[in-house]
Amino acid sequence: MAGLDPLIHAPARLRLLTTLTAVSEAEFATMREALDVSDSVLSKHISALVTAGYLRSRKGTLEGRRTTWVGLTTQGRRALRQHVAALRQLIDGVD
Amino acid sequence: MESTTPPRDPRDARAELAAADQARERLTDGLRLPSGLHPALAVAVAVQVGTAGAGIAAQTAAGLGVLLAGLAVFLVVAAVSLHRFRSINGVRVDGLASQVVLGSGGTTSSLVYLGSFGAATWAAFESLWWLVAVASVVGGIGYALGARRWWRAYRNDPVAHAGGASPRLLAVIALIACLGFVVLVVVG
Repeated sequence: MAGLDPLIHAPARLRLLTTLTAVSEAEFATMREALDVSDSVLSKHISALVTAGYLRSRKGTLEGRRTTWVGLTTQGRRALRQHVAALRQLIDGVD
Repeated sequence: MESTTPPRDPRDARAELAAADQARERLTDGLRLPSGLHPALAVAVAVQVGTAGAGIAAQTAAGLGVLLAGLAVFLVVAAVSLHRFRSINGVRVDGLASQVVLGSGGTTSSLVYLGSFGAATWAAFESLWWLVAVASVVGGIGYALGARRWWRAYRNDPVAHAGGASPRLLAVIALIACLGFVVLVVVG
């Protein structure tokens, strides 16, 4: 289907990108709880989306412990918007 | 491992979008403001408005010191509040930072702040100290109410209100504000 982004096909990635639209940056464990996924799954998706330029990540701290902070890039925001529009088109095609 | 093939069935697409929205809601529903944020903000802004008015009217080095001390109180309260928000929630929301540091959430709160700042400065020049106090309190309350209004708007539509000035830009703006006040006192 045109407009669907292969990098966002995995539902966990769609959830990850969508959740990040509500904040400027989120910490790894916070995202893991919001998405209800394991550390390794989240880590893998973040790596792929950072490589694609959809996410930016940085090492930081939260309450004294080292952690990773992630946020949407402009490119990621655009890609998500297009992907969601394509999904809505698919839905509207039936409704 | 989750499927990475695109959904062909509209029901799958609908379910994916709903799950994504639910995940975002799970995150935003859990967000909490630090306790005492609004009173702290009101007091910090009242102190800043009052000291700025008195400092500008004094036109002396001591006045400049008072003005900068008031500004420092406000910036420390703002920085601590934002740090606490980040620590409690594990997220950074630039829209909140813009609201807390710049009061940029609404025209009304900006006008109340500017009005109270102007009134406090005028009153200080006229040595009407009771009016300086009243203007400061009004400015502080107006600013805090603006922050509360922004928070409600954010809870209703997080995506539309999450954006704002980055921490780096806010630091630059705070520095420019400090320098601006110094110039105002020195030149005036």
